Amino acid sequence: MADFNVTTRGVGPVRVIDLKGYLDAHTAPELEQEFNKLIDHNDYKVVVNFDELKYISSAGLGVFMAYVETMRENKGDIKFSNMQDDVFNIFDLLGFPVLYEFFKDEKEAIEKFNQKEKS
Amino acid sequence: MNLPYSGLVSARKLEITILIGIIILVFKFIFPITENSFILILNEVLIFCALYFGVLYTSHFTQLKKNEPISLIINIGIFNAVLFFLSALSSSLFEVIPSLEVNVNFIYSAISLIIAYIFMAGVVVVLSAFKELYFIRLKTDTHKSYDAMIVFFILAFFAASLPDSKEDPNFIGLTFFVVSIILISINSFRVSWIAFLTKKQKTQLLIISIILGIIFILNAVSTFENSFIKQLLENFSPGLHSLLRLMMIYGSIYCGIIFFTSLFHLPTAEAFDKKVEEASSLKDLSRLITQVFDFNELADSITNLTTKVSNSDSAWLVTKEPGGLKLSSVSNIGYVDADEITKIFESEGILNQEEFVTFSRKQIRLKIKNDIRLFDFKALAISPLKVHNNTSGFLFAARKQNYGFDEDEKKSIEAFADYAAVALENAKLIEESIEKERLKSELKVAREIQYKILPSTTPNCDNLQVSALFIPAYEVGGDYYDFFRMNEDKLGFVIADVSGKGISSAFIMAEVKGVFETLAKLIDSPKELLVKANNILSESLDKKSFVTAVYGFVDKKKGQLSFARAGHMPVYICRNQKIEKLVPNGIGLGLDYGYSFEQNLKEQTVDLVDNDIIVLYTDGITEAKNIKMEEFGYNRFESIISSENFENVEELKSKIINKISSFTQGNSQHDDITLVLMKWVSNNKPSGVN
Repeated sequence: MADFNVTTRGVGPVRVIDLKGYLDAHTAPELEQEFNKLIDHNDYKVVVNFDELKYISSAGLGVFMAYVETMRENKGDIKFSNMQDDVFNIFDLLGFPVLYEFFKDEKEAIEKFNQKEKS
Repeated sequence: MNLPYSGLVSARKLEITILIGIIILVFKFIFPITENSFILILNEVLIFCALYFGVLYTSHFTQLKKNEPISLIINIGIFNAVLFFLSALSSSLFEVIPSLEVNVNFIYSAISLIIAYIFMAGVVVVLSAFKELYFIRLKTDTHKSYDAMIVFFILAFFAASLPDSKEDPNFIGLTFFVVSIILISINSFRVSWIAFLTKKQKTQLLIISIILGIIFILNAVSTFENSFIKQLLENFSPGLHSLLRLMMIYGSIYCGIIFFTSLFHLPTAEAFDKKVEEASSLKDLSRLITQVFDFNELADSITNLTTKVSNSDSAWLVTKEPGGLKLSSVSNIGYVDADEITKIFESEGILNQEEFVTFSRKQIRLKIKNDIRLFDFKALAISPLKVHNNTSGFLFAARKQNYGFDEDEKKSIEAFADYAAVALENAKLIEESIEKERLKSELKVAREIQYKILPSTTPNCDNLQVSALFIPAYEVGGDYYDFFRMNEDKLGFVIADVSGKGISSAFIMAEVKGVFETLAKLIDSPKELLVKANNILSESLDKKSFVTAVYGFVDKKKGQLSFARAGHMPVYICRNQKIEKLVPNGIGLGLDYGYSFEQNLKEQTVDLVDNDIIVLYTDGITEAKNIKMEEFGYNRFESIISSENFENVEELKSKIINKISSFTQGNSQHDDITLVLMKWVSNNKPSGVN
């Protein structure tokens, strides 16, 4: 039905996950798989680019919650970027901005990781 | 009078037959011997009628044996033997009486009557039995030659009473007699039923036909000899004697033909038996497939029948399971042996070809090098179980005799493998549907339980109208709402949405209900309550799950609404057809179990004004989708609420339901929908004073 696509690319030490389409209970396992791969490769610095994501359900939100702890324990994090307003609204209502970092642009998020590295 | 119709009619026929018999009795005592042709004709007509109704009556019994020709033949034999015995005995005891006119007396009349009746009965039985034999497996509607034969029988019957002497022989009678014999010869060839007998029955028939044929010939010969019986019967009725003679000739010819036919059928009898058995086995199997749902039971029948039909010594059935091949059933072979042979052939890669294959002694010897026990088998056939080009297993048939499977046997093994495949498929489908049915009924129970968890009625308050709605997307959902009467003045309420859908969220929802119900009794402050709830839920929620909620209460005395929002959808207050969205800070339950949750949770208090409508909902409403996958959205939802001044919240509720259902028409519901509406109507306070 609703299509979903997830791809990962590396920008320096940071992995960027591009999400496309609809992220819901049916497609969430694909994203989980992607996170599992990152952990297998010891990649804990993750930026999720929401530029082409049209919809996210509560099951989709759950994926980030499930992995953020592991990332943070390993000196990494999951940061969000390029979110469209209606998608951000969902995150905002839930209070995610208190717990996660959101950026207008992917570069800012990567920059944030790199700054931390230097300091 | 509950006699069945045919029974009633046959009783009537018996009555008529007996009546005619009595008339003949009386008639014969009045005219023991006669030369008067009119009385003679009357005599013949009476006897003909007796024979006619007698045949009609006995037909009822012979018809019952329509499918047992052997038993019919034996019946003929018994009566025939009685007649033979009678004629032989009487001929040896009594001499031919020289001049009947002088020597006739009462005793003779009585004896002659009894003997004549017995012969009549014999003729009747033999005639009706032959009739039945003629019509066995008759495939055409035309039986002209039979009808013609009967007609000539009747003609011969009546012509027999015409005067006959050395100088002036009865040519008419003779002609009818000869024509009758020709027709008998033609009709005697209708013995196709012999082909359908089993080998055993054919052998029986062969022996019976020899004995019966001899008796018939002896009887027929005796009708030509000048004996006591001949004299007696001819005196009783010339027609009867003529008919008896015809019957005996009929029997002789018929038995001869039966003898030769069954003799020639004997060599092919075995092959024919096998075909019949195969056909009936397939019939049994197809019946089993529709009746027996247990595959193992079916597999047993399949292997059993396979050994029978293919002349094998052993057969076994293996099915493909996720873990590999599994032996489902064996016939006449040990599980271990069958398993071992299967494994050898599997490891040789023969089973991967998924085709019907047979192996000769040499080939088996090559395959099975290690095990001497398995050398027993000299021929082996393997047939795949195929349905829709999908192989679900294999049927093995093995033989100890040193000759290969012929085409017929291969075909029947393949046919049984096909049946097994269908049965296997059926059994699987049935198992699945039973499982599905079970889950369905359990979900139904879960649904009922869930509806019991939710409040069955909305609380009645003087100055607060309350209405609520819950529509799960699946059988069960993860939404929850409830009301708590905290004290006289305060009515607590909660609306919550568990992440995810279906059963997993329904379990959490039940737990959430327990937490809120308990805490509502202990804690007044919405913020404090939600913080406590977050702590409790941290122990049971998994990492992926969270719960959004709004908890609050309406203080009726103060006319105030107090609430806190844990990541949930905004709380609407509609005042004078204008919506105010209240979104105090707060993150969802389960997102963070530390300090952040408490720190970011803000409590909000609103002074209510008369006719304010408080709207609580879950995202199932705003995210309801139509066929084009467009969302119902905030705007549509809000415009309904602010469209008019709703006197009654029920009205608003039904308007919202209607709008959503017409919007989503044709599309299935994606998420649970929950809606709680409360309207503040402080009637006791005149408006404008506060």
